[in-house]
Amino acid sequence: MSDALRVVVPDAVLGGRGLSSGQRAVVLALAETLFSTEAGPPPADRLAWLADDLDDFFAHSGARSRSVFVLCIAAIDLLAPVFIGRLGRFSTLTLADRFTALTRFEASPMGLAFFGAKAALCIVWYEHPAAAREVGFDGNCLKRSA
Amino acid sequence: MSGGYFSARDHRGPLTLDCDVVVVGSGAGGSVIATELAASGLRVIVLEEGPRVEGPVHGQMRPSESMRHAWRDGAFSAAVGLGDSPTINVTMGRCVGGSSVLTGGVCFRVPGAVLHEWQRDLGLEDYSEEGLDPYVRHVEKAIHVEEVPASMRSRSTALFVEGAERLGVPIKPIRRNTKDCNGCGRCNFGCPHGAKMSVDLSYLPRAVAHGADVWSHALVDRVVTRNGRAVGVVGRLLNRDAGAPGDRLVVRARRVVIAAGAWHTPLLLLRSGLGHPRWVGQQMTLHPGFRVLARFARPVRGWQGALQSAYTDAFEHEGITLMGLFVPTGVLGATMPGVGAEHVAAASHIDHLAMFGGIIHDAGGGTVRRGPGREPLVTYRMAPEDRAKIPRVISLLAETFFAAGAEEVFIPVLGMRGLDADTFRQTDLARVPSSRIECASQHPLGSARMGCSRENSVVDPDGRVWDTQELYIADGSILPTSLGVNPQLSIMTVATRIAWRMRDRPLPALD
Repeated sequence: MSDALRVVVPDAVLGGRGLSSGQRAVVLALAETLFSTEAGPPPADRLAWLADDLDDFFAHSGARSRSVFVLCIAAIDLLAPVFIGRLGRFSTLTLADRFTALTRFEASPMGLAFFGAKAALCIVWYEHPAAAREVGFDGNCLKRSA
Repeated sequence: MSGGYFSARDHRGPLTLDCDVVVVGSGAGGSVIATELAASGLRVIVLEEGPRVEGPVHGQMRPSESMRHAWRDGAFSAAVGLGDSPTINVTMGRCVGGSSVLTGGVCFRVPGAVLHEWQRDLGLEDYSEEGLDPYVRHVEKAIHVEEVPASMRSRSTALFVEGAERLGVPIKPIRRNTKDCNGCGRCNFGCPHGAKMSVDLSYLPRAVAHGADVWSHALVDRVVTRNGRAVGVVGRLLNRDAGAPGDRLVVRARRVVIAAGAWHTPLLLLRSGLGHPRWVGQQMTLHPGFRVLARFARPVRGWQGALQSAYTDAFEHEGITLMGLFVPTGVLGATMPGVGAEHVAAASHIDHLAMFGGIIHDAGGGTVRRGPGREPLVTYRMAPEDRAKIPRVISLLAETFFAAGAEEVFIPVLGMRGLDADTFRQTDLARVPSSRIECASQHPLGSARMGCSRENSVVDPDGRVWDTQELYIADGSILPTSLGVNPQLSIMTVATRIAWRMRDRPLPALD
């Protein structure tokens, strides 16, 4: 699993605020919905790794990228339930309801917000060694020490 | 005399420095200026807002790690589309070496037709192919520009070439700034082998050897002027958590060069109250870009081979250039439509996907304004004639892949499922709302344009800001129009011209 570790960049921006616990809960709910298959939701440790890495991502990438991401997931959390006639938070819906809500949200004029959140999640998700293997990526040129 | 690399992140307390020339930005323009001037014996300080990521670290980082550490806004910067324009994801570097670290290495000279336009419409008489020849040759030697051999093409590009040949579209090899490239297909996340001769490898080490100091995490807020002359810059050291501004930075200089790119150069001018307000931050061009993915029956593994190796200018008369490229699996995954099982199933074919892109030689329409916080607010209103080209670009790319045997294509429309040839041809692309079109840009240009009159430009042909002595600009913001091709080499060529002419001008005393 060494490829899943984060590289230390000696001159990196000093780490700061990434995701709050509330935002992390939305990320986990979103990822569980996005990456579920007929076999069920993805393993909890992969979801936790994704949330940890996104936290690190937004701690280093600057206030604006973090703000844009937070706006995207807030829009999904608050508005996606409306697309299935429900009030409340996306993160509290059942997996089946989340799936329907997100599918309708993607096709709506709010689709750009979904795309923004999905882009961040996917970019990190498919870097996990297990996910990379599943899509046939061979880790070309990544020079990690074991 | 030897300079060095310094990190403002690790400095505590206010920092005051003196030099002959302070250069704001360490990308393709700033590095060239710094190196040429340091080599001529001047004391140069380079200020870079981002961190310094050294060569070997690039090879260890996953793409998303590169994005969080070396890209501006984690690669999520956007120009907000106005009217019937898509919102455009604009990616830029924010590290020592700037966007040069993150390009595919593609090198084009300024096209002759573009130079003719500059001469005819803007009076830039010296900007001819002959006039620029010594500068471009100098740069090409310094960064080792070479043609990518066909043997290094990825299968993704080879498939597009196959389709193009069947349709009678001529494909040409790309030239890149590489040396001993082994074609591992991830140069836009920092070359893992140090084979791409980005300016952090090709120029800045020479600047440092000649005494230049390069400061990372050094944010410039404002150019300081006195009696109509630039006398330095002030800013902040980014030495607080999350890169927040901390201690004060003051650099006193006999000459100031801004090379912060087409978004932040005009922002710095606006903050400083400098430059002609009619032109600062206006007329920015982006080369709006669109990609088409194509799924083939057999594995493609488009990440194996040169990231960019072939292009066609057969449609330049329509203002369109098509060019090979590839993106990491995570980015491909993000473009796969759907949620849950549908999305995962589509993503499972990532190794069967080929990709090619197209850019529009746009007329402008971008505006850079001061925004909340330290980043600009950027908008883009695409000219109607450019907007009309989007369906054409997508159609050219898709039909070429179908000619090569693609089973389905994924076009840049949010949430749209894969389309086979029949379905694609029945799709009315002109009716797709702009708000659902995915569009990206890596080439912001022209927001502090060069010209022969203070009435139609921000800088003169030598990069001098009109009406402010000893203030220069040397980056993509001064290129007065879009080029229709990747601008890295053009920016470095123009910066070299500015540097060589600048070094012949006597410096005033330090204020």
